Amino acid sequence: MASAPLSDKSGVTPRAGGRTPSGLVQHLPSLVAIGLLAMALILPGMMFESDQRPTAVGLGPAAWPRAMLLGLAFFSALWIARDIWALGGAGRRPTLSMPAEDGEYHFGKALIGLVMIVAYGWLMPIAGFSVATAVFIAIWCLFGGVRKPLVVVPVSLIGTVALLWLFMGLALMPLPRGAGAFDTFSIWLLRATGIY
Amino acid sequence: MTTRFAKTTLSTAVLAGALAFGGAATAQTYPDRPVGMIVTFGPGGGSDVMGRTMARLMEESLGVSIPVSNVGGASGNAGLTQLRTNPADGYTIGTLISLTVASWASGLGDNKPEDFEVISVIQSSPSFLFVPANSPHQTAEALFEFAKANPGAITVATSGYGTQDDVTLKLLADAGVTMENVPFQAPAERYASPIGGHTSAIYEEPGDVGQFIKGGQLIPVVVFSDKRHPEFPDVPTSAELGIDISGLDNYRSLAVSAGTPPEIVAKLAEAVATATASDDWKEFCSSTYTCITPVTGDAAQAMVRDFRALIAEQLAN
Amino acid sequence: MAALELLGGGFLAAFEIWAFLTIVTGLLVGVVAGALPGISFVNAMAMALPFTYVMEPTQSMLFLGGIYVGGVFGGSISAILINVPGTPASLPATWDGYPMTKRGEAKRALTIAVTASATGGLVSALMLAFLSAPFATFALKFSQPEFFAATLLGLVSVIAIAKDQPIVTMVSLLLGIAVGTVGIDPLYGQARFSFGVPEMESGIRFVVVMIGLFAIGEVVDLLATDRDLRPKKTGGKAIGAKLADILGVKGAIARGTGIGCLIGMIPGAGATPGAVIAYGIEKQVSKRGDEFGTGIDEALAAPEAAKNATTGAAMIPLLTLGIPGSAATAIMLAAMMLHGVNPGPLLFIMDPTMVYTIFAAMIIANVLMIGAGIGVAQMFAFLMRTPPAILAAFIIVLSVVGAYGVRNNIFDVYACLAFGVLGWGMKRVGFPSAPLVLGVILGPLAERYFLTSMANSHQDWTVFFTRPISGTIMAMALIFMLWSLAPAIRRLIRHIRS
Repeated sequence: MASAPLSDKSGVTPRAGGRTPSGLVQHLPSLVAIGLLAMALILPGMMFESDQRPTAVGLGPAAWPRAMLLGLAFFSALWIARDIWALGGAGRRPTLSMPAEDGEYHFGKALIGLVMIVAYGWLMPIAGFSVATAVFIAIWCLFGGVRKPLVVVPVSLIGTVALLWLFMGLALMPLPRGAGAFDTFSIWLLRATGIY
Repeated sequence: MTTRFAKTTLSTAVLAGALAFGGAATAQTYPDRPVGMIVTFGPGGGSDVMGRTMARLMEESLGVSIPVSNVGGASGNAGLTQLRTNPADGYTIGTLISLTVASWASGLGDNKPEDFEVISVIQSSPSFLFVPANSPHQTAEALFEFAKANPGAITVATSGYGTQDDVTLKLLADAGVTMENVPFQAPAERYASPIGGHTSAIYEEPGDVGQFIKGGQLIPVVVFSDKRHPEFPDVPTSAELGIDISGLDNYRSLAVSAGTPPEIVAKLAEAVATATASDDWKEFCSSTYTCITPVTGDAAQAMVRDFRALIAEQLAN
Repeated sequence: MAALELLGGGFLAAFEIWAFLTIVTGLLVGVVAGALPGISFVNAMAMALPFTYVMEPTQSMLFLGGIYVGGVFGGSISAILINVPGTPASLPATWDGYPMTKRGEAKRALTIAVTASATGGLVSALMLAFLSAPFATFALKFSQPEFFAATLLGLVSVIAIAKDQPIVTMVSLLLGIAVGTVGIDPLYGQARFSFGVPEMESGIRFVVVMIGLFAIGEVVDLLATDRDLRPKKTGGKAIGAKLADILGVKGAIARGTGIGCLIGMIPGAGATPGAVIAYGIEKQVSKRGDEFGTGIDEALAAPEAAKNATTGAAMIPLLTLGIPGSAATAIMLAAMMLHGVNPGPLLFIMDPTMVYTIFAAMIIANVLMIGAGIGVAQMFAFLMRTPPAILAAFIIVLSVVGAYGVRNNIFDVYACLAFGVLGWGMKRVGFPSAPLVLGVILGPLAERYFLTSMANSHQDWTVFFTRPISGTIMAMALIFMLWSLAPAIRRLIRHIRS
């Protein structure tokens, strides 16, 4: 989702079928600014763990992050001020404009997609790269509309073995093998595929 | 605290699982699959070259491949955490170097000397002060004289505050030789700074700046050790100049997770010993000025423990 | 003359069958790896390191050099075709390359990109071959204040490329810099913002942030909008690039190449800042500056030329001084050291054949890249005919492997996924993510250059302005900022008056 440099203006000319957020909804992004301002003000106090020794030489390790967070706080405040000004007059648009979509955006689908991706990352150290990947590819394909078992099963199994061979066999990356029984299984699989 | 607790439970579970299912990993058959080598720094540094050379040499005597993986970050602690949390079955070896041990003393990471079983300390080198070829101070006496007369005028490129480098400069300052510590995080920039004339001197072990010494761009003026370095017999020790600073040598070792079966550690130690006895290794260590008689067993363990204590004591002052 | 003779010998050596095949293999590996979302050329070079054990020293350098040249370009293939930059340096290629793909001009975009990249790379390789020695001496004059000034110029460029939204851009950029401060600080060895989690001390690497923000967000959007990645039918046949198109952007390529050659020599900076600065300057120079971001040829060509122009330039300090300026050149140094070869002035005297074979190989690799780039791009276009769901699943897997491969650490995968969720949310509210990534890249550099400069000048901040080179770059950065903010300032004044 590389946003174009002019992301907030270019490519958002509403097209047929697209919807542009309107009313109070378009002011929702202002909440981001408020959140960031709060964060920039709170974080400097949480920079170090209590058991660390303070250092006295030079500017110290805190100077740079402090300055940057101060800058962040300043520009977030500026952003909030500009959005308050935008609220005050008709025709004034808030600083950040939500992008209009070419067509319909299924939020439910996006959320399920995110959950699947995060679950994949969570599963990987537990079940090992091979099992997690095979399961992930299969479920993602099923959810994405590819339902033929004759497609899904080979794609997920052959794909996983190919990736395993490429990354663990050829590139010698120590991808997670999983814990307990999964580790035993991974070692067996790696031996069966000639990688170990 | 909860995360640490969760980690411990998790690693215990992993360990239990490995014991229950991975019964094949016995000392008799070890090693029967690739042994992973964790290099605790990124590609291109001294640890990386040491780890990769060692892996290549150990492959011959162990008879399995030893794939190297760079797990950099947190002064080497990220890789050591991985080594510690992997099953203690000898299938993961890691590099453990003095810089990381020193970082424990300044409160980094959650690793302790007891978490690891040092197989062998295989490289060690004292550090030197080097001056660029066109420096007005070509000897340690001249350099120290000038620093005494003009406190802080001499700038020394180092790897950071709170490191062995910093400790050495502090000890020099206590003896009246006050020089300014200028930390450079990137080693390459550190080496370039005295050569480009941006700092007056550099604190470094000779192996890391070997090509600049051979090229005549950097001149060693003093070694921080109790005896002169055999490769640089003309360079005086700091003790000869009246400031006794030693015991802060940079060493590199190989380690496994504590709790690895002793027979497996013995097998690994044997492979390391064979490797360090090879001509290949001797050529490598002499080109990096780091040849030592390998230190193994309890002596190696004590070396790590004592070094941590020494740095902690120096930093507390 | 001696240089020409030596280079001739280098060409002869590089055209020997095994040497040549090594260059081609490296190039192809680089382009493919660069094009795979998540796998950057640095990853690919690190993975290739074990293979160089069995090679001759020169051959190992040809292999890594090929991967380097090919990989720096390869990232643009996925950037142009699927809006996911394969490497951070290809970020600008998504801004104008992808809009061209959306218009059905993918082939034209790729041709412009590969031509610009190859030209930049070739000029840079020639510079490496002929001007190494004088440039090496010049590079030594640069120290931390100069590096800081150049990084600041990079940060200013980030504002310049998005002048319509200076406030939000600044917020995003500073947020990125703040993310970059997580972990052990560069000078004091103290952990910041670790919140008691030891893994946080390792910090957050920019590649991980980039993969999360771009690859994962894009894939989720793909799922949610039922968008099709298959090449668009534009009625007629696919529009390719004509010679006139290339000639039309020759100014942009020349400017990009110049910027890339200069930035490449600065340690730490590398391809990404080079590309971003070139994009920012091109936006100011070009007549069509206001249309940048909608698929403009110059906007694609300039950063493409710049990023590959950094490749040869980055090897100058490596070969002449033995000082690697970037992760890629550090891996090359490792390969040389593993063979007992120490780069530096002595290498030119002791083994000139090796040095000049490397020079020749860099030149050959950049010429061959046009073919390799187009070939791999066609393969990718073919891959994109597979159903989007299957493609998306593999992009995610590759992204996760790429994040893991940065440091072989599962924590980086978690961080990547967290940024994936964040990036998706940012896109939904229209918060720009590119400045954040650039902040994570440039922030840590700026910090350590700044702090080391201060330590080396007894904490006197005027050092940045009193040193001649540093002062000049600072002045350039200031002028550049005012120049790029001028329209916004004029608008503000008009607003206040009315």
